[in-house]
Amino acid sequence: MRFAGNLLWILAAGLGFAAQDLPAQQLPAQNLPAPDLKDLEKRVTEFSLPNGAHFIVLERHDAPLISFHMRLNAGSLYDPAGQTGLAHLVERLAFKGTESIGTRNWAEEKKALDAIEEVYDRMEAEANKGLKADQSRVDMLRTQARLAIENARRSVVANEYQRIFSENGAAALEARTTNAAAEFSVTLPSNRGELWFLMESQRLQHPAFREVYAERDASVAEYRQHTESAQGRVLGELVATAFTAFPYRNPLTGWPNDVSNLRRGDVKAFFERYYVPGNITVVICGDADPAEIKRLAERYFGPMAAKSMPPLFHADEPPQAGPRTTVVEIPGDPILAVSYKRPSQYDRDDAVFDLIQLVVGQGRSGLLRSLAVEEKHVAVNTQVVATFPDGRGPSLFTFLLFPAPGHTVEENQQALEDVLQRLKTTPLDEQTLARAKAQGRATVLRRLGSNGQMAELLALCHAEYGGWRKLFTNLEALKAVTAEQVTRVANRYFVATGRTTAYSVLPGQSDPPRPAAKPQTAPRKGGQAQ
Amino acid sequence: MKRLLCAILLTASASAQTPPAKGAAAGAGTTAGTTAGQTAAPAKADAAGTAAAASKTARPAASAPSPKDLKYPALHAIRIPKPESFTLPNGIKVRLVEDHELPEVQGTALIRTGSAFDPPERIGLAQMTGLLLRNGGTALKTGEQIDTLLEQIGASLDASIGETTGAVRFQTLKENSETVLLLLKEVLAQPAFRQDKLDAARAQLRGAISRRYANPATIAHHEFTNLVFGKETPYGWEQQYSTVDRISRNDLRAFHERYFFPANLTLGITGDFDSAQLKKFLESLFADWTPRQPAVPEFPKVRNIAAPGVYLADRKELTQSYFSVGHLGGQLDGKEYAALEVLCNALRTRLLDRFRKMSNGSEINTYWAADYAHPGVFEIAGAVKSVSSYETIKAVQQEVEAVRSAELPEEDFVIARDRVLQKLGFLFDTRTEILDHMLQFEYYGFPVDYAPQLQKAIQSLTRAELMRVAKQAINPANFTIVVAGNSAMFGDPLERLGGPVAKLDLTIPEPKPEVVTSTDVSLAEGKQTLAKAQTAAGGADKLAAIKDYTMLAEYQIDPAVPNMGGSKIVQTDRWISPTLFRQDAIFPSGRVSAYTDGRIGWISTPQGWGALAGTQRNQVFGDLFRVYFRLLLSDRLEGRTVNGLGPDNVQITDAAGQVATVGFDAATGLPRRVTYDTAQAGGPPIFCEDVYEDFRDVGGIQLPFKITIHQGGRNFSEVTVKEYKLNGGIKPLELGRRPQ
Repeated sequence: MRFAGNLLWILAAGLGFAAQDLPAQQLPAQNLPAPDLKDLEKRVTEFSLPNGAHFIVLERHDAPLISFHMRLNAGSLYDPAGQTGLAHLVERLAFKGTESIGTRNWAEEKKALDAIEEVYDRMEAEANKGLKADQSRVDMLRTQARLAIENARRSVVANEYQRIFSENGAAALEARTTNAAAEFSVTLPSNRGELWFLMESQRLQHPAFREVYAERDASVAEYRQHTESAQGRVLGELVATAFTAFPYRNPLTGWPNDVSNLRRGDVKAFFERYYVPGNITVVICGDADPAEIKRLAERYFGPMAAKSMPPLFHADEPPQAGPRTTVVEIPGDPILAVSYKRPSQYDRDDAVFDLIQLVVGQGRSGLLRSLAVEEKHVAVNTQVVATFPDGRGPSLFTFLLFPAPGHTVEENQQALEDVLQRLKTTPLDEQTLARAKAQGRATVLRRLGSNGQMAELLALCHAEYGGWRKLFTNLEALKAVTAEQVTRVANRYFVATGRTTAYSVLPGQSDPPRPAAKPQTAPRKGGQAQ
Repeated sequence: MKRLLCAILLTASASAQTPPAKGAAAGAGTTAGTTAGQTAAPAKADAAGTAAAASKTARPAASAPSPKDLKYPALHAIRIPKPESFTLPNGIKVRLVEDHELPEVQGTALIRTGSAFDPPERIGLAQMTGLLLRNGGTALKTGEQIDTLLEQIGASLDASIGETTGAVRFQTLKENSETVLLLLKEVLAQPAFRQDKLDAARAQLRGAISRRYANPATIAHHEFTNLVFGKETPYGWEQQYSTVDRISRNDLRAFHERYFFPANLTLGITGDFDSAQLKKFLESLFADWTPRQPAVPEFPKVRNIAAPGVYLADRKELTQSYFSVGHLGGQLDGKEYAALEVLCNALRTRLLDRFRKMSNGSEINTYWAADYAHPGVFEIAGAVKSVSSYETIKAVQQEVEAVRSAELPEEDFVIARDRVLQKLGFLFDTRTEILDHMLQFEYYGFPVDYAPQLQKAIQSLTRAELMRVAKQAINPANFTIVVAGNSAMFGDPLERLGGPVAKLDLTIPEPKPEVVTSTDVSLAEGKQTLAKAQTAAGGADKLAAIKDYTMLAEYQIDPAVPNMGGSKIVQTDRWISPTLFRQDAIFPSGRVSAYTDGRIGWISTPQGWGALAGTQRNQVFGDLFRVYFRLLLSDRLEGRTVNGLGPDNVQITDAAGQVATVGFDAATGLPRRVTYDTAQAGGPPIFCEDVYEDFRDVGGIQLPFKITIHQGGRNFSEVTVKEYKLNGGIKPLELGRRPQ
């Protein structure tokens, strides 16, 4: 049930660690009824076009609104080697319009865009001579490229794609890239559903890929901004240390040097390979008529030629031999991240991991918070994520601790160790299990009241698990988790050989002697180099 | 306590036309990175290496379907569910809407109350009551325990009080709905308003007061609404340190008692339940909650006092000008409301067009911010380069005039109309919002089908109607114009807009006694109230016959008071008419004595003695000013003014600047509470309140034997008077002798 982990992660991040401090209180165990899907089933319609694009319609006719969520399995996981950040760049460029939207004159703009590529080709050809390259010629070509870009920009009608949506009453027009997917969403007045079909199908069939190089720079800036914070930096180092081969080690926005060398041709190639009908899931939730939706889908998405499905990723992560530790020198409040290797979201124990996240990490009665924040005061906050950074591949069960002023990383590690020890040795009582299950259900269900979020989650379940019902059957799986399973999973996965630790220290503070070196804080040069 | 965010149904323009920020952030941000220039390179194929890239050629853009060619059907009507309605035996109105899509239950209890009922000297009381209703805990649970309970079951329950509504909202899994309803009842019926949470809430409100002018973008809007609504009614009031500081737990309790009673409450619940079962549960749940109160009065009316003119908040540090222009607006149920929403929307588009041509760098929004229960504001607000301040506001005036004197072009009209129509739908896009609006329509006496009616009204608008309404409802001659900016940078002086420019004072008043202006009527009223109190206390002559007194009292300091909390102090006050006064207090640390003859004096502590000065002098002189007999005879004392503040309240001042407000018990006529500001070492004066209780007869005079002292809205001390000795024949010399 990666979506639950995902949900909770987003939820916690969105709250910005709202302080909620309280010791646990006992409550009678609740008997959870199964979610009754009869009502929902009646209002869901599903169909696939011959070219493979899949549509799910959930009718909710209260308000004259309709939410669209399109999802493609085309996230950063699929970035080609040496081209990290490409999936993200493609998503950014989607808002730049099409051959008919966002341009004053496509024929001229096309020429100007090609001219940019021509200059870049020559510049690369020269630069590729390596030491023999004529630097002044490279510089000259770089200037020419700048001029060519500026020339192309003259044909651009800035922000036209968004403006058309906005003029038609759209809200929540968004796009995002995750490790797994590229996602596009918007909510429209329900009589304007056709606009979405027109705009989205144009974007899929005739993307313009304009302003590639400005977006490329913006993407690099996004990476820099992200890694300026201690948290962004530590988490980046955490995945880069925990994964040696699997692409989760790469930042979503890509490594700056990779991104800086991406070209318009790379963008187009990725797009043609991954943005194919068979890889498209569209969920429509709101005041929609399924028959009308089908008619529009056939009209606008039907003409897209069927293409072979993009290749699956085939990377794997070699087994870890021992604990790994990485230290980041960065100003700001310290942060400690400890993660343990776990299997993907398709593992039979997935729901057990979710339950552990809820028990250990949810709210102020979560075990880790109770101990580290409320009781020992060694941390100001904690966070637990069952599936990080994503669930499709081998993943990390991750704990974040924010040490309190005057308290050390070691004290926080000890607190976490105590909690994990308890999970391994003492079966959870019924109340704690019931609490976690109620919280998990409530967290997921609460989001489903909104058309936009319902559409997003149904799309996720279809794209990653093969069916929207998974959204609800997963809640059943959570309900079935037992205390014995928790103990077994904790003993199997929360072990030194699966552990990666990353923490921050102030600049210049890595070396001073730290008290009583424990195995997990051993300096990196010691244990794990080879 | 400013509105705009709270009760407004349709501030359409604000959100309607802003481009979708999130989308832009997520996918469409651009940064600099290219520079001007041009290239002569010939067009060739795309980057080599990928077949896909090479195969693509330019398609003629003309063949692509255009969004412009789409024809849309009419928008569906908003569906407001028909609830099952009934009233519980105790008077709570209940509205139930079953919805079995998800196993959840959510609800809202609406309470007829609001900051419009804040007492003028306690502005902030309603908001604070709302903040504490749940967070301050109940008789059975602390706020933290409520947090934990809710968290355990993944539920939420939150309370707030706005300008003209109070609401407690909850959401829960269906299997926990009874637990949450139990808690809802506890919060409604037995809130405890714990002191620590009161302090935190006060700090929060004080923080907001201190940041009132911190954001330059909101200064003009803030001052504009205050000017338009005026000081006459609560809609133009704002919280001050002094009004927030004097709010005590007793005030919160009294406010709660007045407004939180069953007949004043509507409870709406929607979700996965069986109505018959839930009805039964609610009946038994609320069976024992039966307080009654007189019906809550109508909300105060807005007084239409136009404040036309130009006002300037001159801020040297500002690099651009922020302005708000407009006047009082209308209500949501106004006949012309639909037209005015559309007009405002069209007006914004026109202004944006005009500003683009002027290149004045202006951002602009127009609001017909109609409200449910009273008129809102018509406001055009924007930000502009300092140098263009005058011409921009002039342009605003001209464009407003233009839409009053000519019909809008058909295309502009249609775009504006459709936008307003579309945005209306977004107010109903979750179950929570639908329920909330359904309850609010009823609460404010709107028709059940208000939303679909409004949709229809918008659809049937005509251009001619828009112009007619504009002429009638909008009057540029009445505009209040507020500008926050650096006047040194203005291109043209604002005086050119017509008439003098009034400068706005943006200092935030420190807590200090505010002397109320007196009139002959209020003075007469004050005298009357005081005379009644004199009679109640034993008669003016008897009071006047007291020439000296001794009061022996025990002060139990509240445990929460820093440093001295929890300690017990024994104090003796002695007074000889008219102004010889001495206090002797035994602290745990030793004895402190102070004496004054009304002019000068001394203070003696275990560390030594000195002249009575500074904070101590102010405190002793304040106590002397408020000596019970003198206070009650204030109408006879030279230099004192007694001013009536409505029934049973007087404000007493003297030539030296002492101020005290005395509230009298309506039933007995005896003084009930005395409020004043007292000096504090190393800080601004603090608001104090003495509550008099346990009156007993001493030689024919009614004297309080229990006095509770609050400081800054916190309990400070309980005073138990052990003994009063009247006319004991104290010798002046004895009084002035320092302890050795």
